[in-house]
Amino acid sequence: MPRVLVTGNQAAGRTLAMAGEANRTARGCCAGAYPITPQTEIIEYLSAHSFSKGRVVPVESEHSAMGVCIGASLAGARSFTASSANGLSYMTENVFAAGYYRLPIVLLAVNRTLGPPWNIWVDQGDSLALRDAAWMQFYTDSHQDLVDTILLAFRVAEDRRILLPALVALDGFVISHTQMVVDLPTQEQVDAYLPPCHVPHRLHTGRPMTFGGLTWPRETAHMRHEIQEAMLRVPEVLTEAIDEFEKLFGRRPVGALETCETTDASTIMVACNTMARTLRNLVKHRRERGERLGMIRVKLFRPFPRQEMRDATATAQRVGVLDRNHSPGSGGIFWQEVAASLRGRSDLLLQDYVVGLGGGDVTEDCLSGIADDLSSRSAEAEPVWEEVAL
Amino acid sequence: MQTGRAGGCRMIEMTIHGRGGQGGVTLAKLIATAAFLRGRFAQAFGVYAAERSGAPLQAFIRIDDEEITNHNQVREPDHVIVLDRTLIAPSVASNLKPDGWLILNASSPPEALASMFPGRRVAAVDATSIALAHSLGTRTVPIVNTTMFGAVLKVLNEPWEAVEAALADLKFSGGNLKAAREAYERVRGAELPGERAVIQTKPAPATPPDLLDEDLGRPSPIRTGSWATRRPHRRNLLSPCSGACPAGNDIQGFVQAVAAGRSDEALAILLETTPLPGVCGRVCPAPCMEACNRSLFDEPIQIRDLERYAADHGRRPSPTPPWRDERVAVIGSGPAGLGAAYHLALLGYEATIFEGGDELGGLLRTGIPAYRLPPEVLDSEIDYIVQHGVKVQTRCFIDRTRLLALTREFEAVFVATGLQQIRSLELGSLRPGVVEEGIDFLDRVRQGEVSLRGLRVVVIGGGNTAMDAARSALRVGARSVRVLYRRSRAEMPAIREEIEEAIEEGIQLEELVAPLHLRHVGDEVLLTCRRMMLGPPDESGRRTPVPVETEDSDFDVVCDRVILALGQSADLSILPEGAEIRDSERLLGLSGAPVFLGGDFATNDGTVAAAIGSGRRAAWHIHRTLTGEDLFPRGERPVAGYERMHMHIFTHAPARRTPHLPATRRRRTFEEVRLGLDSTSGVQPAVQEAGRCMSCGVCNQCDRCVTYCPEGILRRNGDGYNFDYDYCKGCGVCASECPRGVIYMAEL
Repeated sequence: MPRVLVTGNQAAGRTLAMAGEANRTARGCCAGAYPITPQTEIIEYLSAHSFSKGRVVPVESEHSAMGVCIGASLAGARSFTASSANGLSYMTENVFAAGYYRLPIVLLAVNRTLGPPWNIWVDQGDSLALRDAAWMQFYTDSHQDLVDTILLAFRVAEDRRILLPALVALDGFVISHTQMVVDLPTQEQVDAYLPPCHVPHRLHTGRPMTFGGLTWPRETAHMRHEIQEAMLRVPEVLTEAIDEFEKLFGRRPVGALETCETTDASTIMVACNTMARTLRNLVKHRRERGERLGMIRVKLFRPFPRQEMRDATATAQRVGVLDRNHSPGSGGIFWQEVAASLRGRSDLLLQDYVVGLGGGDVTEDCLSGIADDLSSRSAEAEPVWEEVAL
Repeated sequence: MQTGRAGGCRMIEMTIHGRGGQGGVTLAKLIATAAFLRGRFAQAFGVYAAERSGAPLQAFIRIDDEEITNHNQVREPDHVIVLDRTLIAPSVASNLKPDGWLILNASSPPEALASMFPGRRVAAVDATSIALAHSLGTRTVPIVNTTMFGAVLKVLNEPWEAVEAALADLKFSGGNLKAAREAYERVRGAELPGERAVIQTKPAPATPPDLLDEDLGRPSPIRTGSWATRRPHRRNLLSPCSGACPAGNDIQGFVQAVAAGRSDEALAILLETTPLPGVCGRVCPAPCMEACNRSLFDEPIQIRDLERYAADHGRRPSPTPPWRDERVAVIGSGPAGLGAAYHLALLGYEATIFEGGDELGGLLRTGIPAYRLPPEVLDSEIDYIVQHGVKVQTRCFIDRTRLLALTREFEAVFVATGLQQIRSLELGSLRPGVVEEGIDFLDRVRQGEVSLRGLRVVVIGGGNTAMDAARSALRVGARSVRVLYRRSRAEMPAIREEIEEAIEEGIQLEELVAPLHLRHVGDEVLLTCRRMMLGPPDESGRRTPVPVETEDSDFDVVCDRVILALGQSADLSILPEGAEIRDSERLLGLSGAPVFLGGDFATNDGTVAAAIGSGRRAAWHIHRTLTGEDLFPRGERPVAGYERMHMHIFTHAPARRTPHLPATRRRRTFEEVRLGLDSTSGVQPAVQEAGRCMSCGVCNQCDRCVTYCPEGILRRNGDGYNFDYDYCKGCGVCASECPRGVIYMAEL
């Protein structure tokens, strides 16, 4: 397994390329390609890549990029693309179509603040706006987690029991443009891990079918319910995929949630992406001081792992959620999900903190201040806005 | 914040300060790669925002033996690297750890920075020179990353092989490798004396404004001016028209005033340099129009007609009487003498004009026919000059004796007697009255003494006098008029429009013909001529006529009168013995008051405008001699040639031309031929024609720069503009959108 020093974008591009190449014995692969900061390097890498069976189609917009993926996936190809921020917004109509078509497409979302005002730095609001599109959503915290999760995403998405597209999110710049040491898989390992992509409802001239035509309410509701049932099967399938991964690669990627020091914690903080790495360092330092602080990283956002969240917070009296995103008129979006999961826990103080919007550099000092606020709080309040100087 | 850990090898963190384009992020990657290749964990990233050459940027590196989990920007670096000299300031060391290295791209040795970084470990290398010597980047933005990489690894005690390996891993070779080696060998470090300064960290930024604040207009707190590698500046250039005007008129200025409908202001601008705009607006050959940038675009601005318009429509300011005690004698009342007297009067001197003839005006009066210059126009402009307290003595011929006397009566003397010596041609002995000099002929015509009814007239020459004589001959009844010229039409010194108008009126032009001799055959006069051809160019650049040597190259022209218009020269007999001409403008070797020379007498430029300019310069010379004050402009402004203009901004528009008297009517009258832009539809045609002026090289407050500035940091300030250099990024849009080349970019 080669160890390299690369940017997050390069790591993602190389992993996507290997996943696509791995389907050369079946229907090949296809990517719709359109650039936007900070994901452009991924598309550049794919465009320069030569596939044995498959191609990258340059298009005029993100909407068409997803259109290419839908068409290719309906033809049975392993399909993938990447975008960010306003590119994702523009893609949205087709993102929903891909979900409702049950196509196992993988979309890399390099998180960036939606404009205006124009801002190129990290904020998870762009991919969270797609939370209801019938896609699985994975949030990654490091180069290694990113590489491993891309492979898991293909595996779960293409599983006959799931057949749902998967979005893999990473922090813009903090991961996408940062050189880090990462272990990349070899093509042989990816070939071994990803079975040929089989889209059971793919278009076939020997079996003419209509997709997406008019259905009555009852059929429509039935299809939506099927999607919900598929979503509920994800944790089980994901665990199987992780087990297989561990056998092949010798390391075990994080699943739906990553927990640290939660078993006896009285206070738990919840975060995602690189902010969770910083949070883990805080927990470690606070534990050295004897504080019963724990942390949870939410990696799987759709389906949201409610039961795992309930289990992980069983001992806690206080839970703080850190949101680098915001739903105006409500609050942090992870907080809403955590609150829904922990409904009925009358013994619990649950507080939301909106922090690092627009790419603010959230330091351990900053999280430390939030931890102090959480432990001294006597009652829940509306989401707290934390300003970050840089 | 925690950056290290108890036990084990401590994490190393570094900060790079550079500018976009210098390769700072790649340097971070090189340093990280060197560590990675030695089996360590590494992290390298830049702070991306303004992805633009020249913008200050920071890049960060972390190196550790364990996996790196900190993704924040480096706050307390172990070492600081500065790639750009302009970024070397005490603040770069503000959070540097006490024993950390400052590794600088600097041309001076580290010891020279002791006052800036007391008590610090400083290493310096002239990476810019090294990089440029190896052709890395440009002079404005040299790419110094690989050079500095060599220096950094040397300071960090890494072996040269580590430099080589990382460069090879990132596919750097050639000049990059050599530059890194040179820096590796040349970088010098020193522990500087003194006590480490405590750097005040910047105060926390103020709360950002609310979107709906009424004073949202305040500039961004990021002073983007520091990103600039060049800045816009403004300076007015010399418009080509003004540069070409022998009288020194501010042509762009007066035309713009006409365009704005301010004819008083237009005339005032002209009167600063010429007392005869009404004259020049009629008879000037207008070199300004040849120089006009618009002639390369569609058609030149009709400047001559606009000058006439300004002279005829503007109100003249009230004349001021002399206030100085010094008196100056002006000999000759042609355009040079009049110009000198006028400017002397403006400067406060009492000028006295000595004129040999009956009236003032010199050749303007005697040599230019009324159909080109009505005498009342000349009279009114001369009146205005005289109203400035100018004394006049007509019928007063000055010879060398009288000139010496004047040098004792006046504080200064100006001689502008023009060209009194007529160049003639001996064509054989004939009965009197057949051959006449053109100058004399024109003066007699003016006085109404001539009739050539029914006669065949031959005019010899190609200058304005020839054209004037030929057209005047037609008007006093000549049956036919032929102009013989020994070169071709292209070489004729006459004003082009005069030639065209003469041909319109029926004058026959015979090119490449030279007269040989005259003889009588009965009542008729035969002029024998020879055909010529053009040979090599002479000193003046015109091609020399040479005779065609064939049997039929000679031929006879039957005629009744021959008018010679072969030019004149200065009569130097006025100059006292022992006098020496210096710089053609000053007479030396005399004991009395200083004597200056000007006009055609001194320069033989042959145009009214040149004579006016010469008269003004003489006035300034005299003023400088008498008072020491120098009025001559210092430093020449560059000319706003076509290449400096941004012509894509302009649209084509045909010139508005002055109407002419119909050619058939002209032949019988001395009425003015050119009727003026104001002759048909009032002021509108002149204002429209002036509106075609592009104001080349001179800002006319069009505000295009303000409109196009993408940063909104360019503001109108009265007649000028302010650039806010605190925020100007030096993008250059204002310069490329300035239609007239006023805004230019200068490297910092």
